[in-house]
This record gives sequence, structure tokens and C-alpha cells, in this order.
Amino acid sequence: MSKLKEFTASSARPLPVLLLADVSGSMSTNGKIDTMNDAVEEMLESFGAEDNTRAEIHVSVITFGKEGAKVHHPLAPASEVRWSRMTAAGGTPMGAALDAATSMIEDRAQIPSRAYRPTIILVSDGQPTDEWQTPLKRLLDAERASKAARFAMGIGDDADTAMLAAFLATAEVRVYRAHEARQIKQFFRWVTMSVTQRSRSANPDSVIAVEPTNLDDFDF
Amino acid sequence: MSSRSPYEYFGASVAGPRHRAEGRPNEDSWLGIRGAFGTLVVVSDGMGSKRDARRGAQMACRAVLDAVRAWHKAGSSSVDMLLVRIEPLWLALVAPATGRDCAATCLFALAHSRGQLHVAAIGDGFALRRTSRGVEWIVGERKGGFANETDALGYSALWTSRSFPIDGEAVVVLATDGVADDLLPERIEAFVQWLLDDFAGMAPAERWRTLQRELRNWPTPHHTDDKTLVVLAERRAMHA
Repeated sequence: MSKLKEFTASSARPLPVLLLADVSGSMSTNGKIDTMNDAVEEMLESFGAEDNTRAEIHVSVITFGKEGAKVHHPLAPASEVRWSRMTAAGGTPMGAALDAATSMIEDRAQIPSRAYRPTIILVSDGQPTDEWQTPLKRLLDAERASKAARFAMGIGDDADTAMLAAFLATAEVRVYRAHEARQIKQFFRWVTMSVTQRSRSANPDSVIAVEPTNLDDFDF
Repeated sequence: MSSRSPYEYFGASVAGPRHRAEGRPNEDSWLGIRGAFGTLVVVSDGMGSKRDARRGAQMACRAVLDAVRAWHKAGSSSVDMLLVRIEPLWLALVAPATGRDCAATCLFALAHSRGQLHVAAIGDGFALRRTSRGVEWIVGERKGGFANETDALGYSALWTSRSFPIDGEAVVVLATDGVADDLLPERIEAFVQWLLDDFAGMAPAERWRTLQRELRNWPTPHHTDDKTLVVLAERRAMHA
């Protein structure tokens, strides 16, 4: 048998996806947290079912709510994630969640340099209750985290759309606004489609651009 | 073949599974040649999203050779004077296509007959030099960033280059990203030694076939890229 195996990686290149999920108290109203749990579960199933791709999709979920920013699920191949549903309570410490995401992406032990550019998904239904400008600047200035593809969804009328737009920091992708359960699911299907297309593409670092305001035109 | 250069080289290049499945050719290219200038090896990876990537890679190898010949003939010793010649020559060779349509990485090592070893690169993949003191990365040591972030000929990118006195023990290895991205950094020295131990002593045709087979049977799951690997070493180091 070839000795080459001794010198080469034994796993496919990871394509990391980090979900920053708002689990503040307001998410418990109108079934929002249940809908998000269902949508994330569906996304994980889709990622886990992806085979014969150029990249292996890895997922981590960082929640921010009563317990501060917390790694709800550490970064792991999507096919290995055993999903436990999120519960909603407390404030919206989004700044702490941004710092947690930056730390994870900058940590080469968690995301090796052979990984493809990560994707960060930020979902919130309210105003941050902690200082978020400095953590966001840290993320956008960080050597590696700044290169991540970013998606954002504001749920309901109270979502801080300006903050979410600052997180995207690009005119190419807009904040997706969701007002009903169907739209929350649609957003996650859009993200799922974008990530899985990347994982199958010739260059998984290229981000598939789909205008999120036109999602109704897409047959997922 | 010139008898002046004590350097030898070997290498191989294969289309990756994705190109094979699509019935497309290998978009990597490599060249090894000896002449009055010394010994030159070049590897190039045509950027996958570009229409004329294969031609870009082939012409990158040719442009380096043409530049080296002209530079050597002009008697210059400044490697910068060599590097500035390459992209204009390459653009002339790929015309009427544009540089953007043919974008390709370019890594080369020249054991110059005037006693210097020059290693230079634009884009990803790796170029390293191994001596008795260990492995020295010229380009490609992954400290930051992620896979598939690259510069290329066609984007007026800056060269990274290093020059060393020829010392008789150095081994230079060049590879495109299809190889570089899956090699374990902590095993790179053992990898170079394996190349010397298992391949340097083979007859050239057998060596080429065996190395092609190794690259084609690349063990990392879901690998898709074209793969090119070239070794340049002083004769004594090659057969030590």
C-alpha cells in the first residue's frame, strides 16, 4: 500500500457553517423558536445528506440569550450532529456571540487552514442588549473571520436591521426580513442551498449570490 | 542536455477526479529543463473558473523558460530583473486571450549556473527548500487564511522569491494546491524524504509512471483537484 497516506489528510476539506442564533425571551413568542429549531434541524439533515461533494460541511451553533453566548453545538461534521432543540429566555447578548464566532474562526485547531471560507449565519428578532460595535469590528477586522461569507435574518418588526446590515458589511447581500414562520424556514432553505452549492462547486470559496428578497421565486 | 548543472529533477502531473469525470484535461502544467542557464523547474495551476486555464498554465511554464533564457543571456544577476520579464512574456504567449481568461499560478525553482538557487512563486500551492537544517517554506505554509485563496499571473500580483547560494545539499519541492492543501504540515519533512527514498533511484520512465499513479490514487477523501509535484535536487542530495 502507498505510503502517501501517512503524509496526507484523512478527511475532506471542511466547509464550516456557524449559526449565531438569538434565543432571547422574545423568541419564545409566536412560535419563533420552534420554527427556528425545525428549520435548523432540516438544514442539518440536508447538510448531513450531502455526499460526493468537494467539501465536508461542518456546523456549529452558538446561541445568545439568558446564559449569554454559549456554544450550543461545537463544530462538527453535519452528519454527526445530534441536534438538541434550543429554548428561549433572557436578553440578546449579540456582541458576546460575535466574539465567540470570531474566536472559533481564528482558532486553527478548530478550523484548519485547509478549510474553505466559513459561513456565518446571524439570526435575531431584537436589539442587542450588550455592546456589539467593538465585537463586530473585531470580527470584520480579524484575519480569518473577516473572510467569512455572512447571512443575516431579522425576525419581526423589532429586529435591529441596521445592526444586521452592519454585520453583513456588503451591498451584495441584504438582510432577510421574516415576518412569519414560512419565511424563517425559507431563509434557512436559502442558506442551505447556498452552502450545498458551494460544497459541490469547482471552487467552494465562491459564494452563490441569490437576492434574499426574491426567495418566493425559488423552488427549494 | 548541459553537463554544467549538477541538479536533477523529476515530477508528474495528473488531472483530478473532477476534470476526469467531466472529460476535461489537466489544467495544471509543469516543465523541467536543463540548459546553459542551469536547471529549471516550473509548476502552474490554471485557475479553475477561467475559460483558458489550461493554456494559461502551459504558457506560464513557457514564459518562465523564455524569461530565464533571456535573463541569463543578458548576464543579469538580479532575480527581480528576471521576475519582471515573466508576466509580460506570458501575456504575449496567451494572446489574443486576456490574462484574466487564462489566470494561472506560477511557481519555479532555478539552480542557476552562476551559483545561485532562485525560488519564486505567484499564487497558491507550495515551494519549499529542505536542507540538513530542516524544511524552509518559500510559499505555501498555511498560517492564516483558508484554502483556495490565491493570486495568479493575469492579476499583476507580486512575486514571492528567495535566493540561496548553491550548497549541494538542498532539495526543492514545488506543488500545486491539489497536492499542497491535503499534505499534513507536520509530516512534510518525512514526505520529502519519502520522495527521495522511493523515487530518486528509479529509472526516469518508471519514476514518472509510479509518481503519476500515486497522484492519481490520492488518498484524501473527496479530493477533486488536478495535482502536480516536482522535485529539484543537487545530484548528491538526490541520491544520498
